[in-house]
Amino acid sequence: MIFKATMKGALAALATVSMLALPGGARADYPEKPIEMTILFGGTANTIAQLLAELMSQELPEPVVPVSRPGGGGAVGYSHVAAARPDGYQLVWNSNSINTVTHTGRVPFDYTAFAPIARISVETPALGVNSDRGWASLDDLKAAAMAGKPLKVGISGKGSFTHLVSAALFDAMGIADKVMYISYGDGKAPVELMAGRIDAAIQWPGQFSSYMQSGELKVLAVTGAERIEALPDVPTAAEQGVDVDITMWRGLAAPAGTPEGVIAALAKAAQAATQTDQFKAATGTLGFTAAYMGPEQFGALIKQDDEFYGALLGELGMGM
Amino acid sequence: MDMFFHAAMLALDPWAIGAVGLGTLVGLIFGSIPGLTFTVALALALPITFSMDSVPAIGLLLGTYIGGMTGGSVSAILLGIPGTPSAAATVLDGYPMTKKGEASIALGTAVIASVFGGMFSLIVMIVSVNLVSKLAIGFGPAEIFALVVFGLSTICGLCGGSMLKGLISGVLGLMIMTVGLDQMEGVPRMTFGSVNLLQGVNLLVAMIGLFAVPFIIEACSGHMETKHKRMVRVRAELPSIRLLLGRFWLMLRCSVLGTGIGAIPGTGGAIASFLAYDHARRTSKTKESFGKGELDGVIAPEAANNAVTGGTLIPLLSLGIPGDPATAIVLAGLMIHGITPGPALFMNHATEVYGMYVAVAVAYVWVLGLQLLGIRLFVHVLKIPRDLLAIGVLVLCVIGAWSVRNSVFDIYAMAAIGGLAYLFIALEVPITPIILGMVLGPTIENEFRTAMMLSGGSWDIIFTSPLAMIFLGLAALIIVLQAISELRVRRSNQQKVNA
Repeated sequence: MIFKATMKGALAALATVSMLALPGGARADYPEKPIEMTILFGGTANTIAQLLAELMSQELPEPVVPVSRPGGGGAVGYSHVAAARPDGYQLVWNSNSINTVTHTGRVPFDYTAFAPIARISVETPALGVNSDRGWASLDDLKAAAMAGKPLKVGISGKGSFTHLVSAALFDAMGIADKVMYISYGDGKAPVELMAGRIDAAIQWPGQFSSYMQSGELKVLAVTGAERIEALPDVPTAAEQGVDVDITMWRGLAAPAGTPEGVIAALAKAAQAATQTDQFKAATGTLGFTAAYMGPEQFGALIKQDDEFYGALLGELGMGM
Repeated sequence: MDMFFHAAMLALDPWAIGAVGLGTLVGLIFGSIPGLTFTVALALALPITFSMDSVPAIGLLLGTYIGGMTGGSVSAILLGIPGTPSAAATVLDGYPMTKKGEASIALGTAVIASVFGGMFSLIVMIVSVNLVSKLAIGFGPAEIFALVVFGLSTICGLCGGSMLKGLISGVLGLMIMTVGLDQMEGVPRMTFGSVNLLQGVNLLVAMIGLFAVPFIIEACSGHMETKHKRMVRVRAELPSIRLLLGRFWLMLRCSVLGTGIGAIPGTGGAIASFLAYDHARRTSKTKESFGKGELDGVIAPEAANNAVTGGTLIPLLSLGIPGDPATAIVLAGLMIHGITPGPALFMNHATEVYGMYVAVAVAYVWVLGLQLLGIRLFVHVLKIPRDLLAIGVLVLCVIGAWSVRNSVFDIYAMAAIGGLAYLFIALEVPITPIILGMVLGPTIENEFRTAMMLSGGSWDIIFTSPLAMIFLGLAALIIVLQAISELRVRRSNQQKVNA
């Protein structure tokens, strides 16, 4: 009897202790199981994310596992993470695509469904043309467009990032009505430029660099506010009197409602990862810029971009 | 030449050879197990290569790619379930050979044809990468569209008895691929507002469903003939040299075809293997035996789909264009090691490129060794009672379907497509044309639309291109020949009836 009572008491005490300890302990010990990072796209987006996950795993006691959930221009992966429990174990490797996916009506939520963690990288689009055309600047391109047939401009697809950047650039140049968009799958634009089937294309600098070295393609402008390391001799559009500043950022977000302590821990790990030599080396080889930005600033950036892309898609007749 | 020796030393370092061997083994395992796909194996291998030196890292990825491409034929031949879309054509005659008790001969021949095709394409790549890539640039949307129409015309040869049933199946394949977000216009199609349907039907998932699910249902339903024959005579016998030498020209022709198709950006192994199969059937003296276990029907697609590996590396290295999801991962591996493909690659990274050539050759040596040893083990799979085997296949297929995109939706998609496939088999509608339609559907549609955008809606872009007209002409020829032979068969049947 006595034994039983003691057992009961001990069990009760144990239960009480563990119940008291659990909530506080869980927060302090985050993470106590692997963290899943949803990746929305293949290509460079996927490669950067896999590297980041590997480097963040070294900063945290538990691994960060990259999980690819492609499809629907990011809609599938965003939906998965938006519906997950906000406990910090489900992250999304996001980008400007959160804005386009909202404004084209593919998902029933917007960027507020996510808590920003950190911006990690920035990629600056570049405008390439065939060297044989003899165009040396945006003005030459504009003159050719005004004089002759409409420009054939290669894009990945309607509403894709390359399309939006092209539209904004040619609009600012005042030749929006002199442009014909040709949709290609990803990555084929440089070859099509080389073959002369299209006149110009916006792509990532990494896709142009080899062709520039061989002299077959010429890059007329980058669309960011500053020149980029990968193409130091290429002027920005702004330098040539065209007022655009568009870059693609990539970063991390969690479902809205994720505790601040968790966000801070993840942001810290992400920041440390972007400062490693391995990450810095990858910026050169993959053609992006490391650009860490903390949760608050990152949130403001996403909000500002949301308005910009909403308006742009509306102008193109693709908005909701 | 110094550069080459330096590269060869890097690539023949024991570590590098080990990395290639490990990749090949993993690729073979993932390729040969039904449900698991080597694209998934590559995705798993990629992060491991981040911290490796560039030559072993790329060797590991290339080994996985080549091992997977070859391994796809194992389950195609033994169980009738292709491990990769490229091996779907191998099922047509490889599986009947297994039923006849000639599994090991089919497997052995498949390996040797694969290695032959792969080595051939490697040599072509080394000798003529610049020339071939210049020719490949000439393939614009109109030309690729015409080439794919030519590929699609091989449906004629896959119909078995009824052309109508073959067309139903092929068109269904084309239709399935229209589901999802249309990249070109950025609009959802046939998604009924569902986010899951936005991702569309994945080719690999559909392939698992089409071939594995009917296998599972048949094995478990108990009244199919396969149940009684569960103890197939298993011999671990390899094909004789004479058998292979007699088919040397066929292997060579199919290797040329595979290399050529691989070199054209935006096509891939599946179209090459179906065209090669069709070619072999058409030029064969014993056409009737195709589909019933003809060795030529195994050699042709296997030589062609491995010849694609070398062919695909040409646009990948010289133009930076991956031919399929698997080569896209190889591309990511190259990029992270600072090897940016494109015209300047051979100036900047000659050592690594030579190292890759050596690694590909090493991978094929591994494939040959591992497979020839493995065949003795693989054939024992046939001793396992079918119903027990089916349970294993079921588990692997569910895992496999899920792992392609980490999506539970894909498991349901696999089951739904599999149920459909079972129904089709019961109605004697061939299912291979579905997979052909699915492989070619997105390409044929997108290239056509791009061509029309380029020309402002005018068909002239197709009619004024000599290349496009050649391929369309070949497609028309195949269709006409098929119609004539069908008429002949019908007439002779009628005569028999009358007599």
